[in-house]
Amino acid sequence: MTILPKLNKTFLIILLLAIFTTLGCKNKKQNTTKKVAVVVSTLNNPWFVVLGESAAQRARELGYEATIFDSQNNTSKEAEHFENLIAAGYNAILFNPTDSEGSVSNIKRAKQAGVPTFCMDREVNSLDGPISQIISDSFSGCVELGEYFVRQLNKKGKYVELLGLVGDNNTWNRSKGFHSVVDHFPELKMVAQQSADFDRSKAMEVLESVLQSNPDIDAVFCGNDAMAMGAYQALVATGKANNVMVFGFDGADDVMNAIADKKIKATVMQSPKAMAQTAAELADEYLKGKRNFSAKTPLAVQLVTRENIYQFEDFGSTN
Amino acid sequence: MKKLIKYLAIVLFIAISLYNSIYIKDLDEIKAEKSKTSFNSKVFASEFIENKVSDLKAIEALGFLNEISKNVKSYSETHGNKLGISNDYYFIIYGNATVLTIEDEDVVVALAKSQQKLKIAIDFIFGNAIREGAKMANIGDYQNTMDYNNISVEINNLVRENIVPPFRRSVKIGDSIYFKGAVRVNVLKQKNDTLRVIPLQLNIKS
Repeated sequence: MTILPKLNKTFLIILLLAIFTTLGCKNKKQNTTKKVAVVVSTLNNPWFVVLGESAAQRARELGYEATIFDSQNNTSKEAEHFENLIAAGYNAILFNPTDSEGSVSNIKRAKQAGVPTFCMDREVNSLDGPISQIISDSFSGCVELGEYFVRQLNKKGKYVELLGLVGDNNTWNRSKGFHSVVDHFPELKMVAQQSADFDRSKAMEVLESVLQSNPDIDAVFCGNDAMAMGAYQALVATGKANNVMVFGFDGADDVMNAIADKKIKATVMQSPKAMAQTAAELADEYLKGKRNFSAKTPLAVQLVTRENIYQFEDFGSTN
Repeated sequence: MKKLIKYLAIVLFIAISLYNSIYIKDLDEIKAEKSKTSFNSKVFASEFIENKVSDLKAIEALGFLNEISKNVKSYSETHGNKLGISNDYYFIIYGNATVLTIEDEDVVVALAKSQQKLKIAIDFIFGNAIREGAKMANIGDYQNTMDYNNISVEINNLVRENIVPPFRRSVKIGDSIYFKGAVRVNVLKQKNDTLRVIPLQLNIKS
């Protein structure tokens, strides 16, 4: 008879302990905010700042703790970030890669650690690494830009092409989209094709050097707007700004203003905000259990010229 | 004697190890194998143009124009194809028409039994209208998006080189023609009279 109340007491204590432990764990789980890392190739270019901040902001709106990491266009720095954020227990990565080949190993390492990666803007050469890649349809944009280029030059003239980073697929998608049009017009001659790494100062230096051996060019096609601004500066410095047409890609604020001011001919507007927000939303869906994602989601881009710039009132990289 | 056996055994062991770890192959053979596994957009495009265009599902042009004039967004979302997140939808259409004018880049036609006009492209044949209209490939299957884009480049080359030239040489104002081709419709900017068909089939009937 004396054993039963003792048992009851012991049972009661165990039961209470179990209840408190369970409730305690549950509360703890509810209070733990999941973490999303935003790894951006460089924060030295305003376009990528908008991309990174928009991704982080959308992730925060969706209830996540978000931190931005700057890879400084350096794959080893990027690898270091991946190691650290995997160790720190991040739940998802919104990723703007530095290199289409070199960044794949980082994504795969995260995948092995159970951390899903969603690429933004720049593509990596892997279908099984990232959960999804949200990219601009750069090729189609440059096909339209190429058609406009051909018409502006009346199908003849000499031009220079400034390429972006040679390890980035966007560089080649843009270049090939452009050439898929322009190369069909034999009187359009490309006198130089050089990389300026998507960098404004390098573009200025490269074009200044090209102009020494080819002073009579009619146009410059640049793989991004930063290079377009650098090219324009080089043309101003050599007194050729009124005779040479400059074409860019991005829809950055300064180039949009330059188009309105008739300094630059055209650009292709891509939306870092839309890409970043889509990536954050897909990551949220993944963390909530969805598993069926399209490997690539291209976002349409728009040609911006002097003729249609009025349609882009709220223009630029803030779109 | 023992040493000799020992050395022979070591040599034999090294020989077997090396034999199993080094393979010598003809470089041309390896290159040929690699090109077999890599995507060939030219072959893919030729296969499509030669074998799939006749049976390609298409929408009758007059009915198509009537439908998009009623509610372009709703019709496009139901019947069109698009690439990713975009306001551009693509369709394959066909029809009979009469040639009204012949311009540098387009032949303007009036659809049979109607006054509705379309442009048939004879120059500036670029972009992804055919690839997306026919939905012949999925971007998610291509590791490098450039392979996917090269499909459009090669198909446009075939249209430019094989489909347009015989038509362009013979077409005259007043001709009755049959066409089948791809159109792009932007649901935010659409104006029916400016639709431009990138041709896949062009026949002059009279």
